[in-house]
Amino acid sequence: MATRNMDPKRCPMPAQDPNVRNKNFDEVATGYTYEMAVSEARRCLNCPKKPCVSACPVQIDIPAFIACVASEDLEGAYSVLSASSALPAVCGRVCPQENQCEGKCVRGVKGESVAIGRLERFVADWHREHCDEQPTVPQQNGHRVAVIGAGPSGLTAAGDLAKLGYQVTVYEALHLAGGVLVYGIPEFRLPKEIVRKEIDGLKAMGVEILTNMVIGKVLTIDELFEMGFEAVYIASGAGLPRFMGIPGESLKGVYSANEYLTRINLMKAYQPGSKTPIQKSRRVAVVGGGNVAMDAARSAKRLGAEEVYIVYRRGMQELPARKEEVEHAQEEGIIFRTLTNPVEVLGDENGFVCGMKCVEMELGEPDASGRRRPVVKEGSEFTLDVDTMIMSIGTSPNPLIRSTTPGLETNRHGCIVTNGDDGLTSREGVYAGGDAVTGAATVILAMGAGKQAARAIDAYIRGKNA
Amino acid sequence: MFTIVKKERLNPTVTKMVIEAPYVARKAEPGQFIIFRTHEDSERVPLTIADTDRQAGTVTIIYQIVGGSTMELDAMQEGEAICDFVGPLGMATHTEGLKKVAVVGGGVGCAIAYPVTKKLHEQGATVHAVVGFRNKELVILEDEFRAASDRLVMMTDDGSYGEKGLVTAALEKLIQEGNAYDEVIAIGPLVMMKFVCAVTKKYGIKTVVSMNPIMIDGTGMCGGCRLTVGGETKFACVDGPDFDGHLVDFDEAMKRGTMYREFEQHAREASCNLLKKEAN
Repeated sequence: MATRNMDPKRCPMPAQDPNVRNKNFDEVATGYTYEMAVSEARRCLNCPKKPCVSACPVQIDIPAFIACVASEDLEGAYSVLSASSALPAVCGRVCPQENQCEGKCVRGVKGESVAIGRLERFVADWHREHCDEQPTVPQQNGHRVAVIGAGPSGLTAAGDLAKLGYQVTVYEALHLAGGVLVYGIPEFRLPKEIVRKEIDGLKAMGVEILTNMVIGKVLTIDELFEMGFEAVYIASGAGLPRFMGIPGESLKGVYSANEYLTRINLMKAYQPGSKTPIQKSRRVAVVGGGNVAMDAARSAKRLGAEEVYIVYRRGMQELPARKEEVEHAQEEGIIFRTLTNPVEVLGDENGFVCGMKCVEMELGEPDASGRRRPVVKEGSEFTLDVDTMIMSIGTSPNPLIRSTTPGLETNRHGCIVTNGDDGLTSREGVYAGGDAVTGAATVILAMGAGKQAARAIDAYIRGKNA
Repeated sequence: MFTIVKKERLNPTVTKMVIEAPYVARKAEPGQFIIFRTHEDSERVPLTIADTDRQAGTVTIIYQIVGGSTMELDAMQEGEAICDFVGPLGMATHTEGLKKVAVVGGGVGCAIAYPVTKKLHEQGATVHAVVGFRNKELVILEDEFRAASDRLVMMTDDGSYGEKGLVTAALEKLIQEGNAYDEVIAIGPLVMMKFVCAVTKKYGIKTVVSMNPIMIDGTGMCGGCRLTVGGETKFACVDGPDFDGHLVDFDEAMKRGTMYREFEQHAREASCNLLKKEAN
């Protein structure tokens, strides 16, 4: 057994220089070397209680995969990862590990937690670069399941069901599979080539992915059952972007973060010669404090904006974004205007944005979410000189499926109601998970829901045919 | 893949294409739209459906060549296939219970006004069609409109065909003649729809317009197609594309439509240059 590494600090992640990377769309973090990974893996104590595993939404056997890395058995490590996660190269990059596995790591008590996410990424990348072996096509059991949405939740459910022998068809509304992984998260945080390879892996396992299929329009859920599917998993994602309802939001230069990021990522507006237009901005305000807001701000900077602001009504401590994203954004020169809230967008004579009227906020008593409620500071109004405004304040559920599926219960927000953890909806054989159920959340929570739904669907179909 | 079954030039800048898209054809109703992408690197472009043949599994689109994306599509020939064709998107035009309707079409908007005219005619409604074009050369679908309407008023800006003048004047004349319409359906350039609404508002006639704003996904995700209707923000792709014309903020919609004018100008020139090079 290799000697344990008792360094209280984790091995830092190599990254492009902030002043270089904020001008390109190449991946920011360049990944551990072999030596770094092995050395970091040896910091794991392999403690018996495995608190990290209980904090992982897809319950990866984390100490087991790390032990493999420590003993330099990388294929073994990959087998452990892929037994629980359909998209390890993605999760290693985008999971909020500080609130999950790493947040529970025993090494974090008297130092820094083991860099579990970075190790996960290293193993998945190593496997992709060194192994050409096609996954084995599982023995088919003759039962068909339809999955709506080829995002993280749908792909996870599809992968797990395919492994169990189901014949799975995934219906994707856009022209490309991947969901938020391809339209939302930018190339510099998650290279699209990685997403494509992970999806190719699922296809090689026999998962069928049909693009350009908007369920609720082209086919209804009832028609899917008529076509012979025995269960349906709805993972259609978050849906319609919210706006603030302040004057001036229809001016040219006001984008939803969804639109801004979709133009850049899915439609490749960041590449020279792209046929998709995007505004050439000088000064940009992104309203909101989540991961999506960070992605939009950092993308705007890369497209050449001189000044990019994050405008958030609470404080730095309350930013909902992943810690690493906030740090990366700060390093790249994004200016944080926290405790600030826009009240009006100002336009020029041609209808383009020319400024944003804001007020300063202070934090009062905690609200229902437990976070301190921001209140307006009297007489604090000021104008921020911007020509682009990106609204990143969440989404509300898409009506396409609920309005065409009789008997599908939704809550007052329009989210699909499910029965506890297994994702069963008010309709027999119809399961749902991810943002369509929870409202906008994270990739890994959506994957966790997909995993649980796959298990529940398997139990349902086996029970029905017993 | 979506094969082009038939391609026909309707006038110097307007083309009709019949495209094999069985899933879309099965469900499409007048008023709904599709989004196409000609090639792997093309833009997603929304187009309202012009006709559907459920048995043949085909959908007809009629487009005007206005920019890089429509030029790309227009370079495709019969037998070739386009990359993506998704739909039917949006809500169908509401026609139930309508007994007497005036359908007003302007320019290439007539391509979308025609299917709803046909549907109303088929369900037994009295339909008056008022169609307007800049000049005789640009007239499209005249025979089709004639066959599907009880009365067809043809207008041209320069008087080279039909009557000289605007569709608004023709519509107002029909109303003044005593035609009591349950509804007016107006489809064409924003400015035309705006002024049709100004006329019908005067007479208190409900008016439905079909909006065609900038959009990307067409499923409600991007919010680029938002417009203000009765003071509320609506998304044309899921709430529309049909809206109560008396509530639509047309001035705002016209401004938003020019968001990428400069970019489109460059794209158009680039496409022209490319086509010229290929021709040489």
